[in-house]
Amino acid sequence: MRRILAQARKELTQLQRDRLALALALLLPVVLLLLQTTAISLTVSDLPIIVQNLDSSLASQKLVDAFRNALSFHIVPWPTDRQPEEAFTANKARAALIISEDFGRRIARGESAEVQLQIDGSDSNTAQIISGDAAEIVRAFNAERGNATRPLPVTAAIRLWYNPSRSSQKFYGPGIFVMAMSLFPPLLATLAMAKEGEQKTILQVYVANISAHEFLLGKILAFMVVGAGEALIMLAILFFSFGLRVVGDPTPFLIATLLYLFCVTAFGNMIGAAVPSQVAAMQVIALTGFLLVYMFSGLLFPISNIPVSIRWLSNFVWGRYYIEVVRDAMLAGSGWSSVWWKVLMIAGIGSTFYFFAWRNLRRMQLKD
Amino acid sequence: MKKKLQELLGPRMRALVRKEFQQILRDRRLAMSLIVPPTLQLLLFGFALNPTVANLHLGVVDDSKTPESRELISQMTESKAFEARGTYLSVGDLSKQLANGELDAGLVIPYDYARDLRRGWPVTVQILLNAMNSNTATIAQGYAEGVIATYNQNLSSQGIHAQFKEIAAPSVIWHGLVVLHPAYLYNPGLEPTWFIVSGILGVLLILNGSLISAAALVKEREIGTLEQLLMSPASTTQIIIAKLFPLFALLCMMGLMAVVAMQVVFGIPFRGNVLLVLGAAALCLLCGISIGTFIATFTKSARQAQLTLFFVNPPLTSLSGAFTPVEAMPKWLQPVAQFNPIQHFGQISRGAMIKGSDMATLWPNFLALLAFTMVLVLLSVWRFRKQLS
Repeated sequence: MRRILAQARKELTQLQRDRLALALALLLPVVLLLLQTTAISLTVSDLPIIVQNLDSSLASQKLVDAFRNALSFHIVPWPTDRQPEEAFTANKARAALIISEDFGRRIARGESAEVQLQIDGSDSNTAQIISGDAAEIVRAFNAERGNATRPLPVTAAIRLWYNPSRSSQKFYGPGIFVMAMSLFPPLLATLAMAKEGEQKTILQVYVANISAHEFLLGKILAFMVVGAGEALIMLAILFFSFGLRVVGDPTPFLIATLLYLFCVTAFGNMIGAAVPSQVAAMQVIALTGFLLVYMFSGLLFPISNIPVSIRWLSNFVWGRYYIEVVRDAMLAGSGWSSVWWKVLMIAGIGSTFYFFAWRNLRRMQLKD
Repeated sequence: MKKKLQELLGPRMRALVRKEFQQILRDRRLAMSLIVPPTLQLLLFGFALNPTVANLHLGVVDDSKTPESRELISQMTESKAFEARGTYLSVGDLSKQLANGELDAGLVIPYDYARDLRRGWPVTVQILLNAMNSNTATIAQGYAEGVIATYNQNLSSQGIHAQFKEIAAPSVIWHGLVVLHPAYLYNPGLEPTWFIVSGILGVLLILNGSLISAAALVKEREIGTLEQLLMSPASTTQIIIAKLFPLFALLCMMGLMAVVAMQVVFGIPFRGNVLLVLGAAALCLLCGISIGTFIATFTKSARQAQLTLFFVNPPLTSLSGAFTPVEAMPKWLQPVAQFNPIQHFGQISRGAMIKGSDMATLWPNFLALLAFTMVLVLLSVWRFRKQLS
């Protein structure tokens, strides 16, 4: 135990002297969390649309006004004699509402009148949101115009649970937190470990009387402390600037966080022990740790959207389980009953990393 | 002028370029990181990042248990948006499944649903959506409302409720309804990968360009061979250009491969001029290379250079609009994205490939890319020359 603590203290002292790495450890997670949580969002609003109203009736004017008043859109001027496509290719507008000249007449006669909404489909997600918003405006328009006296037979009362304001920050904030936790603690750990190999100081460790377990645990402990510090800073930001809270039982979140710190620092040590070059080890972490977590953990988009042929990969991605635990703790709050196995998976993957790191070190160590 | 040109094209330059080419091809790690990861990343990103909202797991609490309620359920699950995942006896059971993520949505039909419907009274069904993912919730809400609207329209015209029309609206004047017809241009199948892949190419160009050029330049200094080069009769400009040219050429190959992969694997249409995309890719690469060069002049070791790049590339990437649209960012942040080469590359590649835009509409983006490249190249050459002399 004393040796583990001494090893951990040595690592922390070394990190303190490396100003660049220290800035990376403490400053960059904060910058990234603030930047990404603010910037990442798919829910567009206030998009530019153009209106080509070929009809001059009161009804069509009212419909245009309904679109003008909506928060989802703002109308940009566009001459009627130019094709709407030109506005799309020039990125002036994302959709075009086209009202034909017989609109008012048909409405007055009590027939249904069709209006066309041309949508720039190059960004499929935005296109779908535009289509949904426009349909809602038209539904409200219809309801207001005539059907107030004749209520719709079935109305849907839609309740949005866990994130009623549909704030993107509440969804992506925890994800970015997990991403930062998956990148920075293992990066520091791998730098420290690969440095031992690169500068051959590992040989001194081999001839010392510290065992492979003690050496490894000391390193892991040191970077778990750093990682816990990073986690505290980031959580403070999530709580105070993005209004997130731990809802429900906090114990699964706390235990999962500790285990996750162990898991990622063990991963960093494993890579560092296998690749005795700081630059190469860093690349490996950036490529595997970061990219895998970015793509296969459901951080941005649901895992179920990944094609089946590569979706199984996500079962081995440690960040995936932690993201689910963190989102549950901060949004749904269902507690142990639904996350216990995810916490176990984090522990399992972490132990595997630890085992490989230990084996790599042990093979080189002299027998007692 | 002629002398300058001779300096750039003369035999000395050729020899230097050849030396650099050989050096790159000999360094396995560098050569590997040039070829394998970028294309693989493009493919993985394209496959793995997919914002489609479909097959949401729907749980149902049907307290009515009538043909009417079953018709509503079947209409809900008919669309590709929702997929039935079982019925529950109480809202409590349903909400438990929603909480632990087994379900994405719930439909609750009250016990008096069919009775009220037959009497022509308005009824309300409850739809519960797990809104943790704000994007999914927004689109799912649109789907659900669309389904209910269609159900209402069908109700008065056909099916088991033919009598509904007379009961519900006996004497009211019939008003004309507005029917909205959405038409998706350029991407009628709403293929989600097109947007992501065309943006990510820019990220990869900047990322790899900066990493590789920084590594190559710092390496020469680390080993101490830079002094030897300086003692040769070649000028500093020649040394820098010779050093960066092979990297640029190899990375251009990577860009070309990526564009081909986009067409072959993801089927992105090439509606506009491919040369516009390739030209923009070359400019974007030069940007990346000069970012790397610039950082290399400040750092003493490859480790330091890489760590410093961590401060540059992730912020550039997250403000690039490559993964998520710039329009979804907060208003005050959107102008900041205009100072990002990746954002302009994305505009060009999406415009030229998917929408068929031409130079007449894309010139501001090209101008911006050109300006970034010029500034960054001049800045890095200036820093480098200052260090060398």
